[in-house]
Amino acid sequence: MTILEGRNVTKYFGALTAVNGVHFSVKRGEILGMIGPNGAGKSTLFNVIAGVYRPDQGEVILSGKDISGWKPHRICRAGIAKTSQIVQPFTQMTVFENVLVGGLHGKGLPISGATKEAKEILEFVGLGGLVEMPSGSIPVPARRRLELARALATGAEVILLDENMAGLNPTEIEEVLKLLREIRKQGKTLIVVEHIMRAVMGISDRIIVLNYGEKIAEGTPSEVANNEKVIEAYLGAKICFA
Amino acid sequence: MQLFIQSLITGILLGGVYAAYSAGFSLIFGVMGVVNIFHGELVMLGAFVTYWMFTLLKIDPFLTIPFSLVSMFVFGFLVQRYVINRVVEAPPMISYILTFGIHLIIAYSALWVWTADFRTVTTSYSGFNADIGGIIIPYARLATFGLALIVVVGLYILLYKSDVGRAIQATAQDKEVARLMGVKVHRIYAITFGIGAAITGVAGSLIATYFIIYPQMGLPYTIIAFCVVVLGGMGYIPGALWGGLVLGVVQSLTATYLNSGLSGAFSFILLFVMLIVRPAGIVGKGIVE
Amino acid sequence: MNRKLAALIAAAVVLVLLIVPNLGLTGYMVRLLAIIFLWIGKTGCWNMVAGYTGYIDFGAVGYFGIGSYVTALLMAKAQVPFLVSILIGGIVSGLIAIPIGLPTLRLKGAYFGIATLAFAEAMKQIILEFDKTAGVNFFDGPHGITLPMGPGNLFFYYLGLVVMLAVVGITYWIERSKFGYGLRAIREAEHAAELSGVDTLKAKIGAYVLSAFFLGVIGGIEAYWLTYITPHMVFDVLITIQMVVMALLGGIGTLFGPVVGAAFLTIIYEVLHRDFQYTYAIIVGFIVVVVVILMPKGIVGTLNTKLGKHRVKQAQ
Repeated sequence: MTILEGRNVTKYFGALTAVNGVHFSVKRGEILGMIGPNGAGKSTLFNVIAGVYRPDQGEVILSGKDISGWKPHRICRAGIAKTSQIVQPFTQMTVFENVLVGGLHGKGLPISGATKEAKEILEFVGLGGLVEMPSGSIPVPARRRLELARALATGAEVILLDENMAGLNPTEIEEVLKLLREIRKQGKTLIVVEHIMRAVMGISDRIIVLNYGEKIAEGTPSEVANNEKVIEAYLGAKICFA
Repeated sequence: MQLFIQSLITGILLGGVYAAYSAGFSLIFGVMGVVNIFHGELVMLGAFVTYWMFTLLKIDPFLTIPFSLVSMFVFGFLVQRYVINRVVEAPPMISYILTFGIHLIIAYSALWVWTADFRTVTTSYSGFNADIGGIIIPYARLATFGLALIVVVGLYILLYKSDVGRAIQATAQDKEVARLMGVKVHRIYAITFGIGAAITGVAGSLIATYFIIYPQMGLPYTIIAFCVVVLGGMGYIPGALWGGLVLGVVQSLTATYLNSGLSGAFSFILLFVMLIVRPAGIVGKGIVE
Repeated sequence: MNRKLAALIAAAVVLVLLIVPNLGLTGYMVRLLAIIFLWIGKTGCWNMVAGYTGYIDFGAVGYFGIGSYVTALLMAKAQVPFLVSILIGGIVSGLIAIPIGLPTLRLKGAYFGIATLAFAEAMKQIILEFDKTAGVNFFDGPHGITLPMGPGNLFFYYLGLVVMLAVVGITYWIERSKFGYGLRAIREAEHAAELSGVDTLKAKIGAYVLSAFFLGVIGGIEAYWLTYITPHMVFDVLITIQMVVMALLGGIGTLFGPVVGAAFLTIIYEVLHRDFQYTYAIIVGFIVVVVVILMPKGIVGTLNTKLGKHRVKQAQ
């Protein structure tokens, strides 16, 4: 059952075409990986889906509803949450308060309900011990988990992970992958953008590949890994075979 | 028709001076992201350097310009080096509250020491005008306009043709990379502020030759500098010229045809509208955060 | 600090403030306290926006002035009773805040400050020049408006107390409410807040209009107390400046910051301004510089951080 799809999504920045006629569709409960060299348009596509940019052409459809050009907070409340490449915690607020905001405003819960859920979510992602810490003072892997926790708190059905694992060591990556599988078990849908090939290939059901703003390949991890165009796109670019 | 041309010319001459003292403001913001709320005080200090040199030492105001230039450079350099540099990495809110505090200190100290009296610099040639077909152009203003243009052009040359200028530009574009290339960023900031203060001080000296000066004159000049720089584009030096000319002409025309008091309101409304509709300035090259 | 204990202390303080004028406080002290209450109110309003959304407003006096003028016009020209007038003054300020806030709250940092400053200055100029330009006799421009004589300082003492409690109370509510969490998220990371479901525009406008309403009411109160107002008096940028410095000194974004800062600065002013006219401003300037460099969180903010760190250490 398709939960999210993009039809002919196109985004210009002046003379630059960052995303060019991209079609994609994601089934509920699926983990879709999105890879491509730097500058391929992955983050831009995420930003279009999340409402940060309005597509110049094409549409984004969530559960049958056209959400193109909706404001980000409205898209969040409708069920799509996005983590950011550069983590953005609410620094002066505690870890708990960060997640609380997601529950209050993303899911629309009252303070009592949001409080209860925030505590549960923090336990679930493994940040239970850091609940009262100012979010600006926690280590980087914890901040990544916090982004994820905040996204979960919004009650999102679809979570867009923008390089959430960058800079983590292999053990940490394994833990995150385990967590993502748990999240999928809860019925969530994930779209994962990563440069760490091992991680993306290991967790995705399907992968789409972008290059210069266009989709150049789509398929299972092994199909994509053996695709000539994909290999060509990556030649000369930095890949991480962890 | 003659009235219109007179008004236009007055506006252009005024605009040139606006441009001169706003260029420094734009420079400081463009390089360091600092909105300098005591900018008007730099104008005031330059004006007073000229006033005191003229009154006490009988030096012709135009000859005091080198002194004004150097003293204001040193002043600006030291303030940036020892005070503003401490917060330049912090969010912008902090730096403009800081510069605002410095505004209070300078303006009111000046008020205390020099009293609120209005002062003028009146030379033997102050009243002489050129009369071109009925259009009156005071010589002093013409000279001021010319010097203002020299200041703006000089700044432009400094930024694009000198090593220091290139270092400043590099720092403005990406200070981390500049640092990696060996640029001493905090020192460049101090130099930049010094340059900004110096040209603003010179503009102040020019202003002293035909406007009334007094210690509290700073704030209105700071606000005009905002207007000019927003119109021309924050951080874009040639834009200060455009912004200054537009503002000068708008003010002159409203003063002539409407009501001189309203020209103040017009400037603010213009500023407000610009910020909302086209924050990057008329020519669209300003920095928009 | 234990919630119940804090509430008790607050109640005790309010009780004291309520009875103290009747216990032989001099007229001078009553007046001074009333002035402090109103400054706490003004600063608290400014703090609602600046402290909780991070948008530093340099045009707050605009709403104060609008409230003053609406109240003055209603009372002087239409004999509308005082309390109704100040309420309408507040409402008009709040309504004007909407078309001003919508475009400006999209601007970042310095641009927002400049735009709001421009708004306040434009308001002053417009009221100064409107009559002359439009050929009517409405605002009386630079001549100002004279209001009917009001009651004595004691009346304004109690009124000031009520206003101060209202502003502090609302700030307290903001801190603990869903609305408040949204605002703080905006202050910390606006983009992330938007992505987390916070309707940032609505929240910012909400805080801005709320602040404008109360500033308008306070403007009306002070107009009545002063009995005579001119555009230069009630649109004076120095009023905004003092709000900013008081909040800064006390702690922007804290509940009691405005209280501490306003009290502190008003007392300094009282002590200094008679003998050393300009020294007050110079000292304020130094306070600003020192606080920004050494203690950017202000008195209350720095205390909170130290206590917070202590609490976290205890929890670990």
